[in-house]
Amino acid sequence: MNDETLTFYYYNDGLTREERQAVANRLATDPGTAARYQVICRQLDQLGAASITAAPSDMVERWHESINRAVRSESAMPRKPVLHTWSFIWGAAVTAALAIGIGIGVYISGGNVSEAVLPDVIVAANPNSSAFVRGLRVHLRESEQGLSETPFDATADRTLLLMRIIEQNRLFEKVAQRNDSPALARVLRSFELVLVRLAADDITPEEAEELQAKLLFELNVILTKLDRESSDESGII
Amino acid sequence: MKMHTYLKLTISVLVLLATSMAFSQDEDTSEKDELKIAALEAMISAPPELALPRVRKILEGNNSDEVKESALFILSQIDLPEAQTLLVETAKQVSGVLQVEAIQTIGIGGDPAALSELKGIYDVGDVEVREAVLNALMIAHDVDAVMEIATAAKDDAEFEAAVEMLAVMDATEELRSLRNRPGMSEALIEAFAISGDAETLRELALDGSNKERQLEAIEALGIVDHEEIGPTLVSIYKGSDDKEIREAALEGMLIADYDDGVLELYRTSQDPREKTDLLGYLTMMDSDGIWEIIDAALEEDD
Repeated sequence: MNDETLTFYYYNDGLTREERQAVANRLATDPGTAARYQVICRQLDQLGAASITAAPSDMVERWHESINRAVRSESAMPRKPVLHTWSFIWGAAVTAALAIGIGIGVYISGGNVSEAVLPDVIVAANPNSSAFVRGLRVHLRESEQGLSETPFDATADRTLLLMRIIEQNRLFEKVAQRNDSPALARVLRSFELVLVRLAADDITPEEAEELQAKLLFELNVILTKLDRESSDESGII
Repeated sequence: MKMHTYLKLTISVLVLLATSMAFSQDEDTSEKDELKIAALEAMISAPPELALPRVRKILEGNNSDEVKESALFILSQIDLPEAQTLLVETAKQVSGVLQVEAIQTIGIGGDPAALSELKGIYDVGDVEVREAVLNALMIAHDVDAVMEIATAAKDDAEFEAAVEMLAVMDATEELRSLRNRPGMSEALIEAFAISGDAETLRELALDGSNKERQLEAIEALGIVDHEEIGPTLVSIYKGSDDKEIREAALEGMLIADYDDGVLELYRTSQDPREKTDLLGYLTMMDSDGIWEIIDAALEEDD
């Protein structure tokens, strides 16, 4: 049983009732899987906690005010359908992406992404599921957290981390493009430009710090946007 | 002497004061910037009509590049034609890092009218501006515009940069159409490899009319991830007596990590010098088969 299945189980999404039952049975009978699931739970719990940061009270008040204004204004406008075309199982795609070799320096060559994988993923899609958006959020949060926690002088660790982020980012970009979400695909491509530069050998610590701050800002903005759009869809802010 | 000491002390105190004031000012600026960036981040939740004038104010105000860069990204996410117009205006008016950022942000926005303005910016821009325009077109996946730049390129460097971007964008057909361009460069062969165009590379690798190009194509075949590449390289090696062609084929196998092919060549070779060369490649490739060869050689000695 792979980590993606356990991640779906954690989010209570992307699995049929039978598949969920099979995971539950496995967790009850296999201590190894149960231990792995505990680790995944801790990591995903931390991801949730990591997005909460203390802000000055006056700023929070202003945010609340602007959010309230946004709610009042947006509720008066007709809602646009958002993200529904992206909805499909993303875990298989991520798993496949991990098997794909990438070349830092030769950025975003579409030929590096296994073309054979994507149609299957799309075929397996559940158009009513928000699994893709959720997967994308996990990818963005993991990227944000990983970059923030990995010191600039841990060169080997950072390179590995960046390669993993680029792989996943590239896959989400590809899928977004194919599922008629060009705006998201464009943003993900722009992230890759920054990620590739961050992974370059000749980058100075100062430049890396500046670029990382920029990337984290943009990741946060897109996360907020995704959260807002999902809330719009479900009617919850 | 005493006066001199007082003077030194006074100067030291003044320097310390000035330094601490400057540091404090830097700290204030940094905190203000952080606050502005946090406010910009919050703007993504606001209606675009409310966010746009605030972003404009930040871009037109006396703010740091860092704050303005953040404002540009927010601008790219504002779904209003005025936001795209402001992006183009900014890209034309500013210079340096901010101009590069504004240009790339036009790519993120993806508005066709704004993208069409990039060609004019490219034509009058320096190397960095041109690179930013290519990046923006790549982000927007505007293959036609990059192709236009490649075909109108005035020098090799300009052509190579555009061709590299076409490869990144997987524009196989467009790259093929550039194949007959006079003085086809190494960059184009690399572009075929990056875009995974095994078919074109194989044709070039078998075409002996231009040896330099042929050698580049043979080596570049190794980059392409395709199951038939390994056997093709072996076949090129076997079918040629030319030392350089054989060496290029071996380099291709090395790049493709196709040690099965090198092992096959080793086993069929009757020439001790060739065997030594092949053994060298197998060692570089860290091939498992090398132990088999070493054992066989040791057995022969026994």
